[in-house]
Amino acid sequence: MNMFLHELKAYKKSTITWTLTLVGLIILFLSMFPTISEEAEAFKKLMEGFPEEIRLALGLSVENIGSILGFYSYVFLYISLFGAIQAMILGVSILSKEVREKTADFLLTKPVTRTQIVTSKLLAAFTSLLITNVFYLGAATMMASLVETKEYSTKIFFLLSLTLFFLQLFFLALGILVSLSVPKIKSVLSISLGTVFAFFIIGALVSTTGDEAIRYLTPFKYFDFAYIMQNSSYESSFMMVTIAFIVIAITASYLIYSKRDIHAV
Amino acid sequence: MNVIEINNLTKNYGKERGIIDVSFNVEEKEIFGFIGPNGAGKSTTLRTLLALIYPTSGSAKIFGKDCIKYGPEIKKEIGYLPSEVFYYDKMKVIDLLKYSASFYKKDCSKRISELADAMDLNLNKKIDDLSFGNKKKVGIVQGLLHEPKLIILDEPTSGLDPLMQQKFFELLQEENKKGATILFSSHILGEVQRMCNRVAIIKEGRIIQLEKISALQENNYKKIRVQTTVKLDENYFNIDGVSNLVVSQNMISFLFKGNINSIMKKISEIEIINVWVEEPDLEEIFLHFYEKGA
Repeated sequence: MNMFLHELKAYKKSTITWTLTLVGLIILFLSMFPTISEEAEAFKKLMEGFPEEIRLALGLSVENIGSILGFYSYVFLYISLFGAIQAMILGVSILSKEVREKTADFLLTKPVTRTQIVTSKLLAAFTSLLITNVFYLGAATMMASLVETKEYSTKIFFLLSLTLFFLQLFFLALGILVSLSVPKIKSVLSISLGTVFAFFIIGALVSTTGDEAIRYLTPFKYFDFAYIMQNSSYESSFMMVTIAFIVIAITASYLIYSKRDIHAV
Repeated sequence: MNVIEINNLTKNYGKERGIIDVSFNVEEKEIFGFIGPNGAGKSTTLRTLLALIYPTSGSAKIFGKDCIKYGPEIKKEIGYLPSEVFYYDKMKVIDLLKYSASFYKKDCSKRISELADAMDLNLNKKIDDLSFGNKKKVGIVQGLLHEPKLIILDEPTSGLDPLMQQKFFELLQEENKKGATILFSSHILGEVQRMCNRVAIIKEGRIIQLEKISALQENNYKKIRVQTTVKLDENYFNIDGVSNLVVSQNMISFLFKGNINSIMKKISEIEIINVWVEEPDLEEIFLHFYEKGA
C-alpha cells in the first residue's frame, strides 16, 4: 500500500495534466459541433472535394458528420491519440524510472518481493488512467448533452468513450513490456511517441485499404466506431485480442522483472 | 553462529567476470571487512547477498536462509547503504525517510530524529538540494533507522568528511555493541584495520586472503621513502623485511614489514634530508600478496 500511494503521488502531476488536456480537448471539439451540424451540407460538399483515401485516413465519414455520434467518432480519433501517448509514457516509465533515476537500490533492498513492486506500480498506473477516464467521460457526456438538441443513444456514446480506456490499457501494457525489453531507456518520451505515432500512422493506412485482417496490426483500429454505432456493442474478436495482449504483456513483465539483475549505477 | 554463509558464489556478466568461487562466513556480532581494489567484485558480492543480482552458480545464506529464495523476508533485518546513494530527488529528506520506514512494521520516527541529530542532517531539505556528503548521510540514516540485525555497507565512507567518518564509525560501533553484525566493503586499508575483526581480501573476482585483522596487523607494512644527501650504496637498505626496493638518485623507497626499530636504526645511521613513513595503499599490499602467491 505504501508503494502504491508513493507511486500515485509521483504521478499526480502527470495525471492532472493529462486529464485537463483530454477534458479541454473534448470540450473544445464538442463546442464546435453546433456550427458544424448547422453547416453539415456545406461541410459535406467541402469534404467530398478531398480524395476518398484522404477522407478515410482522417477518419471522416461524411454521411453522419451532422449527428453527435458521427461527429464524436471523428474527433475521438485525436482524443485516442493523446490518450495512447499518456498511457504509453506511463507504461514505459513506471518500472524503468527506478533504474534511470537510480533509486532501484533503495526500493529493491526493502523487504518486498519484486512481484509486489510490479503490482503496486501497475495499480498506481491503472488508477491514474482510471482517474483520467472518469473525468474525461464526465466532461464528454456533459458537453454532448449541451450541444446536441436531438435525441441520441447515450449507451453508444458511453461505449464509444469507453474505448479510450481499453486503448490506454493496451498501451500501458505495451509500454511496460517495451521498457523491460530494452536494456536501458534513455528517453521515455522518444520511445513512447515513436511507438504511438507508428501505430497511429499504420491505423491511418489501414483505414484506406479497408482490409479486415490488417486491422489487427494496430490497436487504433480495434474499435470500429461504425460497428459500435450499428450494433451497440464491441467486436468480440478484437476485444479478445485486446484482453489477450494485455494479459500476456503483463504476465511477461512480471516474469522479466523478477528475473532481471539490477546493476549498480 | 554464522549470520552470512557464502558458498562458492560465482557471477558472470555475460562473458565478463564478476566474481569467481567466493566463499566466506560472517559470524554474529562481528564487524567484517571486505577489501579490494575497484572492480575486484566487492559490489557484485554484496549485491548478490541482497538479491539485487542473481548468482550464476553457488549460493549464500543469511540468517540461515537462502538469500535469493527468502530475500524479502531476510531483508526485514538488513540495513543497506549502497556505494552511491540516489533517492527520489523531489522528496524532502523526512518524507523519504518516512517512506523508507513504512516498509518495516515498526515505528521508526524516534530513531530517525536520533540519527539525524547524530549525523547533523537537516530533515526538511529537498533531496535534490543536498550535497553528495549530505545525500550519503540520508543513506546512512535510511540504512539504520529500522535497527537492523545485519548492516551491509558498500564503500560507506566515500564522500564523508573525516569528522563525519569518525561520527559514522562511532554509530556503527554502537550498533555493533547492541548486537548488530556488520559487513562492509572498502578499498581503504586503514579504515578496515580500525573497524574490523576479520577481513576478506578480494582481487579480480577471487578471495585471495581471509584473516583476522590482528594477523593482518602483524603484517604491518610501512611504506618508507628516504631522501639522502649523498648517493647511497644500492644494497644499504636491502635487509630482512624490505621489499619493492627502488633506488633512484638520492631517493630510496621500499615497503617494510617487521620490527620498526630495526629500520629506524638503519635510517638514523645515515645523513638524510627527509623521510616519509606512510601506510601503504591497498594496491601495494596486493602487489605483495601477488608476488607471494606467484
